Amino acid sequence: MNKWRCRNCGFIYDEAQGLPSEGIAPGTRWQDVPEDWICPDCGTEKSDFEMEQVRH
Amino acid sequence: MSIPTELANTIVDPNAYANGDAVHNAFQKIRATWPLAKAQPDGFDPFWVVSRHADIMTIERQNDIFHNGDRSTFVAPREAEQMVRNVSGGEPNLIRSLVSVDGQEHRDLRAIVFPHVTPKAIRSWEESIRGIAREFVDHMLKFGGQCDFARDVAFLYPLRVIMTVLGVPPEDEPFMLRLTQELFSNADPEFNRLGKDATMQDGLQALLAVAQQLEAYFSEVTKKYRAHPTAHVNSLIANAKINGEYLNYRQMMGYYIIAATAGHDTTSNTTAAAMWALAERPDTLAKIRKDPALVNALVEESIRWAVPVKHFMRTATSDTEVAGQKISKDDWLMLCYQSATRDETVFDKPFEFRLDRAGAQQIAFGYGAHVCLGQHLARMEMRILWEELLPRLKSVELAGKPENTISNFVCGPKRVPIRFTVN
Repeated sequence: MNKWRCRNCGFIYDEAQGLPSEGIAPGTRWQDVPEDWICPDCGTEKSDFEMEQVRH
Repeated sequence: MSIPTELANTIVDPNAYANGDAVHNAFQKIRATWPLAKAQPDGFDPFWVVSRHADIMTIERQNDIFHNGDRSTFVAPREAEQMVRNVSGGEPNLIRSLVSVDGQEHRDLRAIVFPHVTPKAIRSWEESIRGIAREFVDHMLKFGGQCDFARDVAFLYPLRVIMTVLGVPPEDEPFMLRLTQELFSNADPEFNRLGKDATMQDGLQALLAVAQQLEAYFSEVTKKYRAHPTAHVNSLIANAKINGEYLNYRQMMGYYIIAATAGHDTTSNTTAAAMWALAERPDTLAKIRKDPALVNALVEESIRWAVPVKHFMRTATSDTEVAGQKISKDDWLMLCYQSATRDETVFDKPFEFRLDRAGAQQIAFGYGAHVCLGQHLARMEMRILWEELLPRLKSVELAGKPENTISNFVCGPKRVPIRFTVN
């Protein structure tokens, strides 16, 4: 499981935790997060802003 | 080790920000010797000065440990903070807006407008904003080769854009501009309500009067949009509910006021600063004219260059540590964007205006959960203005000495006299 950081605002997407509040189950890999997902803190789009892998 | 009082006094002095060099020189010394240290300017409670880019990011990302709203969100003398508490029912801020609330309240309030200002959501506004930009470019060109770009374009175009988005009619724009300037430029006799240097007490009374006038205006807005809801942002605010209840009075007024003031003043400051930079750098203008794709780099660099929000304050909710320094519960911290945007460890030759800084983290919009809600709209409207204006400009140069507003919080150039030729 990896964590990914939004380069615009620093929001962390943790694959282990998912984002249940947005319908993304725990354990959802970054590549399986829907393409129309946007960063919940700043609105950055998955397709426009790379998420940066922060650790294994 | 504490920051010397002389430097501490400089970084809260509105005149030092108007001067520009004075505050940059102070922060250069602070970054070099006291990058994260306590300061106590005369008349102020002590606070940490957070001068480095990395430390601001660390703090802003931990918004549960570093609160916005426990004390004043901008640096205020001890006496002024107490006076605000006396007139606002004990709250540390005169206006309860998105930048002065935390936790669930912040999440709930932000969620009201957030879906409408994401990059995807604002794409549909591109053509209407381009129409506004063309209107202001035509307006500028009618001046016949010379104008004050700040007063004649930069103050007005972002104002029209945000008021259109909010649902404020054009005839109310002069009122909104004047009250925004009175609110953010209270230290500048040219803009404040009193028209002169004011005592702390008189200045605060003037701010209170401005806030009351804005509240009276927006109370009518609430009635209007509850009766006839639209897609405008002011209608969203008027009709929003949290847990089945409308926003309370201070939440609602704070929301209207921050959207209607910070929503254009910051972009105006950045746009004016960008033109000032271009007027002094004909080579940069020529580069963009040759490669229009550089407009995005111009926008990013001008935001860093202008840094329209000079600082925000945070208060520690528990004992913690940042960059090896022990921060205690209730400590007050000044996040100095003015300094972080010139951090030599992040920006090569930070005092040069350059278009080749791709990849450097923008910090002027803040970071973390409180990152500027309107950042995507701000970028888009500035990009569109330059896309419309620069192809029509053959040359531009300064036609006098530009001047900055006297303020230590939200500010930028108030005069940018230029001489220009068109294609």
